[in-house]
Parts: sequence; C-alpha cells; structure tokens
Amino acid sequence: MAMIHEMNVIALADLPALSDAKKAAGSRFVQLHAVTVDDNVFDIVYSWMEDNVMKNYKIENVTPEMTVPSITNNFLAAFVFENEAHDLFGINIEGIAIDFKGHFYNMSVTTPMAVISPAQKEARQKAAKIAAAKAAKEGKGAAAPADDLEAKLAGMDPEKAAKVRAAMEAKAKKAAAAAQKEGE
Amino acid sequence: MSQKTVIPFGPQHPVLPEPLHLDLVVEDEKVVEAIPQIGFVHRGLEKLTETRDYNQFIYVVERICGICSFGHSYGYAQTVESLMGVEIPQRAEYLRAIWHELSRVHSHILWLGLAADAFGYESLFMHCWRLRERVLTLFEKTTGGRVIFSAVKVGGVVRDIDKSMFEEIITTLDGIKDEYAQIRKTFLNDSSVRNRLEGVGYISTEDALALSMVGPFVRASNVALDQRLLGNGAYACLNDFQTITDNGGDCYARAKVRSAEVLQSIDMIKEFIDKIPEGDIAVPVKGNAPVGEASNSLEQPRGECYYYARGNDSKFLERFRIRTPTSVNLAGMVKALEGCDLADVSNIILTIDPCISCTER
Repeated sequence: MAMIHEMNVIALADLPALSDAKKAAGSRFVQLHAVTVDDNVFDIVYSWMEDNVMKNYKIENVTPEMTVPSITNNFLAAFVFENEAHDLFGINIEGIAIDFKGHFYNMSVTTPMAVISPAQKEARQKAAKIAAAKAAKEGKGAAAPADDLEAKLAGMDPEKAAKVRAAMEAKAKKAAAAAQKEGE
Repeated sequence: MSQKTVIPFGPQHPVLPEPLHLDLVVEDEKVVEAIPQIGFVHRGLEKLTETRDYNQFIYVVERICGICSFGHSYGYAQTVESLMGVEIPQRAEYLRAIWHELSRVHSHILWLGLAADAFGYESLFMHCWRLRERVLTLFEKTTGGRVIFSAVKVGGVVRDIDKSMFEEIITTLDGIKDEYAQIRKTFLNDSSVRNRLEGVGYISTEDALALSMVGPFVRASNVALDQRLLGNGAYACLNDFQTITDNGGDCYARAKVRSAEVLQSIDMIKEFIDKIPEGDIAVPVKGNAPVGEASNSLEQPRGECYYYARGNDSKFLERFRIRTPTSVNLAGMVKALEGCDLADVSNIILTIDPCISCTER
C-alpha cells in the first residue's frame, strides 16, 4: 500500500466547510503552511491524511488584508501552525483556539518569511523568462536558430547576454562587409 | 475554593534538554491548564532554500536536529526526488532505511537514558549512553560522522557499506539487543517507575485521533499509525512488520512502546541487511527543480514528519517545509497535562519526547 499525495486548489471561502467535512469524515489533520508567492502574497496549504492518501488543499493568493478562519475549532493541533503562519508570514488568522497574538516565535524581525530575498527573486525571474521563451518556442513549432538563441539569451545573465549580442552584431557586420567586398 | 496560580515551567529546566516553555495554571497541586510556548531558538532554516540550491540544501536540512539528522536528509531527498521524478537504485533505498533505523535505535536509547536520569537512576542513564555510543560508532564507521552524516544526496546515497561492515553491524546490534533487553526489563519493572508513570498523563484513543497525535505518543493510545506500514522504499520488503501499540494511553504505555521499538528496529535492520540487493547506490540528478509541488511523509523516531517542496524551474526551491512530529504533538501534550499533579509534569513531557530543535527549525 504505497502512499499517494494529492494536491487540490480550493477557495478561501470554502475552508470552514472543508474543515467541517474533514472532521465529520474522521480525517487526520497533518499540517498547514504558507508559501510566499510574491512579497506579501501567499498560498496556504492544508493537509489531511485519509488511509494512505495525503490530501493537500491549496488556497491561492492570500494577502495580509484578508481574514483566514481558524480550523482549531475542529483540529486543535492546527494552533501551532496558525500561530506560525501569523508570526512568520503575517497572515491574519481569526479565531485561533490558543492565540499567541504574534508572540509565538520570539524574533527580532517581524514576518521574516513574507518578503522574498533578492537572490530568490532573481532566480524566479530567470526561471519565468526561460519558461516564457520555451513556451514561445513551442508555440512556433520548429523554432528557427535565431529564436533558439534568443531563448538561450533570455535565460542568461543580462550583462553576459548584452556582450553576446554585441559580439554577434559585430560578427554580422564583419560578414556583411566581407560579402560587399567580394561583390565589388 | 482554591486559588489559581500560574507557574512558569522552562524554558530552562533540569528535565528539558531543549527550551520549551509552559505556563502551568494550577489549583493547589493540580494542573488545570497548560499553555506551551516555543520560539526561543527559531533559526529560519526553511528560508535558506532561497539562497542554497537543492543539492546544497541537504546539508542545511540535516543540521535541523542532532538526533533526527539522518531522517531529515532522507525525507528531504525523497521529496526533491519526487518533485523531479527521480527513481533511485534499490540498494540506496536499503542503505537509507538501515541508517534511518539505526537513528531510531540511538534516538530511543537516548530517550531512555534521559528518562532514567530524570528518575535519578544515574547508573541506568550511563548504561543507556554506553549502548548508544556503540550505535554512534557504527555511524562513524559507515558514514564518517557521528551526528551529521552527509550520507544522503538527491539521487541516492554517497557511501556504500561492504559485506564485512554489515557483519560488524549485525554483531554489534546483537550485543546491544541482549544488554538493552536487560536494561529495558529493569526500567519497566521498577516499582518507582511504575508508580510514577502508570495512570499518569492519560490520553484515550478518541482524543489521540482528534488531537492528530503521531509517533509512539499516539501508538501508546492504541492507534496503529506508522508511516513505515505504507511500505515506501525498502520498507516494502519487510515480511512481518506490525506496529507496536499499547492500550494503556498513559506515560507507562509510552515508555513501553518507545522502548520496544528499539528491539523491533534492530530486527528490521537485520532483515534489510539480509535482503539488500547489489547494484548502484545513486543516479545522477541534473537540471533545475521543475515547476510543481511534492509532499512526502516519513516515520521519524518521534513520529510522522511531513515534507513539502515547491520548484520553479530553477536550482533553488521556491519553498521547503518541514512539519515535525513534536509540533503536531503539542496539542496532545496540552491535553495530557490537564488535570495532572504538578510533580508529574516533567514525566509527562519526557514520555512524549519533544524535540524542540526540530520544531523550531
């Protein structure tokens, strides 16, 4: 009996009903956690275990201005994770059974996980550019060599890409000049 | 009517090797409510995925905790492999399972030593440490490390174990088993231990399920919850694996379950060694972690540990999450402390075996 992991997307408004249904079904609460998708924009993933199936439910694009209802009325064990999501991410969770009101973790920085580091931002932008270039390439079918090169350049360090472009332009100019000379 | 008083317990306390704070609301000598607090040693290790690529991050993960070190690297590697669609060689699965069960043996013997020390049985504590030392020596001989092994990588393991070393492991474990069985018997049959643990910190099966408890804590309340039952990796080869449970629900049942699991893990390791196939120990893993999500769970010595990874087609994971067994057992701990005598608080906490270092990350 191998373990199966499922990932589903739900709306924030559906969370209380889902929590009630899981309680009624006798599902075992596993955890909840937040994922920073952009500065102060989060996904929240809730997990329950049913037999050998780990069911994950994702609520997308939650901001600190939104109010997320607590599920501790059904699953007391969630108080640890809800306090954590509040303290580390700044997610506003209402009705936590044991609410530390921002003092669960003693930290010198408030909501440290809410902001994406510059290194990660750069990696994400680079990955997005590569994905966009790949998608464009696939959209055009068999890509021309120039398009292929553009896709590669999009994924490179901007400074390095500029140098490659300048070198290619110089090469093209040189080739054009040589062709002109031959014609004469 | 007696007056309620709040007594702070920890974060510095003789029975707590790690900082956990409890506000104990007491009436006379009875605890009527316990409010736990952690957060004294939060290190923000999950945030480091932003600056360490998925291969480097395994060295961060195994530093989450000195006792569960191997388990975390194992769970992390499994999660990333699942995200990247990597299938590792069977021999690597067996080697991982052998080291993981050795970690359980040393973790539970360490726990028994600490429990004995809390009872004032220093000689028993020393005996447990002596046995644990032999397991650490096995780690040192097979991985080069005693606490941090760096034996796992994404795609397999970095070291193999040869036949002569397997023979040494079996000989050592047979020696440990005999001595440990004697120590366990002495501890569990001691009248002081029984007087102080029986009927203390009771959790019913219904409460254990409702409070989402995991590990030996829930198994002592007669719930057969163990991720190893699902047969992931090498655990699929086990012939007759049955979860150790007890219907006592009290501190004594927890001590019985946890201490029995040492003997079970020793048998398990011997079965793995008997069945380990020949072959490669790793496959090359190249490229970025793809866009997507993967979750995983692993039976750590203290219970089920949940792992989650999200990739974004770069070398860096967008998010890595660990939900440790202790963090989900805190609700059960609060329940177990309700109504207990103030003098029993330390025993209840000890038999739950919280790992704050893991929980804080």
